[in-house]
Amino acid sequence: MRSKSKLKDPGIILLVVFIFLAAIVLVWWPTDIYWMGISLAGWLMFFSYFVWFLLAVAYVYWIEKVEKG
Amino acid sequence: MQLTETIIIGIYLVLMVLMGIYFTRRAHSSENDYWTAGKSINTFVGAFALFAALASSSSLMGAVGSGVALGVPFLFAYGFGAVAILPFTLFLVAGQIRRSGVSTLPEFFKQRFGKSVQIIAVFIVVVGMTFYMVPQLTASGLIGSYVLGIDYTTAVIVLGLGFTIYAALGGMWAITYTDLVQGAIMLIGMLILSVLILTQHNGFASLIQDALAVTPTFGEITQPWMSYFGLFLAFLWFGIVSPSAVMRNFASRDARTARRSAMWACLLYLSVFVFGFIVASGGAALGIADSLTNMDMMFVSVIEHYMSPILAGIMFAGLIAAIMSSADAMLLAISAGVARDIYKEYINKEASEKTVTRLGFIIMIVASTIGILIAIEPPQLIAIMVGWVGGGLLSAFGFPLVLGIWWKRANTPGALAGMLGGAITFLVLVITKPFSLVSEPIIAAPVSLILVIVVSLLTQPPSVAVQERVESYHSDAKIIE
Repeated sequence: MRSKSKLKDPGIILLVVFIFLAAIVLVWWPTDIYWMGISLAGWLMFFSYFVWFLLAVAYVYWIEKVEKG
Repeated sequence: MQLTETIIIGIYLVLMVLMGIYFTRRAHSSENDYWTAGKSINTFVGAFALFAALASSSSLMGAVGSGVALGVPFLFAYGFGAVAILPFTLFLVAGQIRRSGVSTLPEFFKQRFGKSVQIIAVFIVVVGMTFYMVPQLTASGLIGSYVLGIDYTTAVIVLGLGFTIYAALGGMWAITYTDLVQGAIMLIGMLILSVLILTQHNGFASLIQDALAVTPTFGEITQPWMSYFGLFLAFLWFGIVSPSAVMRNFASRDARTARRSAMWACLLYLSVFVFGFIVASGGAALGIADSLTNMDMMFVSVIEHYMSPILAGIMFAGLIAAIMSSADAMLLAISAGVARDIYKEYINKEASEKTVTRLGFIIMIVASTIGILIAIEPPQLIAIMVGWVGGGLLSAFGFPLVLGIWWKRANTPGALAGMLGGAITFLVLVITKPFSLVSEPIIAAPVSLILVIVVSLLTQPPSVAVQERVESYHSDAKIIE
């Protein structure tokens, strides 16, 4: 029973989201498209900072909700 | 010698040592207090402490230097992994390790896999953290020699001994509270520097244009894909495999505070990388990259160019502060490894708290002396040395730890094989250099993963008691406060 619930752990779900997003950046890797003179592959990594923080926020509040329930 | 800067740094270091001495009495009152600050640090202090421990000299000097030398996407790759350190740690291991009730990484390995794995883990932690002292000491030596106008070797020795003494005297109490100050100085300093750069270049868009005009390759991906991916991996795993950062998590009051500290520390770390982008652009716009003998000095040059001597002094103090707090956290991990996990555990079980604390003190002095001796002739650039430490720890500890938490079938032979196999593969790759820089963990970590899984499946499963313990890592009923 527990091993099933492990897959529903907020950490594991958000980890899957994280890996998916990181994979998009690393697989797509658009080095030849430029925006403001900087490679889009670079910009994607830069904008991911904000997404990573949002994932941290999502985790903290999700876990707190789970604990309350 | 830069007089104003020297005076400010001098005052700063004296204040930090006084803080260390002030907390000494508290620290020595109990062993538990010494190692984890009595688990009574609040969210605010905890966030800054976690942030300051993560934001090492490399995140500042190394990232900015490499961003100018190798193009700003290289700096973005640092942040791509580094900003994700805390969320990644939260998702995968933080709550579970907390529930296990241990306070060091080797202690977890002992609880989950037994003594043999613990002893090897302690050995790897001590070697890894001692080597990690080298880039910190190199960076402090570079700043010190520039500001004080003394030769590099003397600067390494003086600064290295200075911050070792205060770390050794105060344990986690001193480190946690001085980290609050250091974290704040670093962050505010980076903010002011960014504002000054943006003002001088009439805003963000024209700053980027100025940088590109002087350094045309600034926006390009200049390195093989593997280097960016390797850097991302090495930094991403740092929170999980770095013994000092894990320990920070336990210095917070309770599980909720620990998580919130990590969340806010992630935002602080994010800000540093955003400011780092602006600072690197400011550096690229100066067009001095070719004249620098060491690219790690780029950050120092940017500070000197854009800031007044007083502000520059505060900034240098912030940089040395970043180095200090990281080095202190490493020293604490080294001394905890030897004094608590080896000496008290296996050599003298009856050792008093005072003896263990005193031994920890001596170990810190020994480790920092070894670090200073290597840093006098540093083997590589700061960024690469830090990449090695992150990659090495990931290759050795990453999968034995994560599978130890999430897969109850993982057993002692599997963990031993994964830890040793990963570490040896990593070392062979560093020595033989078959691939691009810092890409070693791309090969070594999967080798470790496969070894843990295959060897575990080929040997006896762990006892029922151990398997139940693994379940308890994921059960809220077992939270240990």
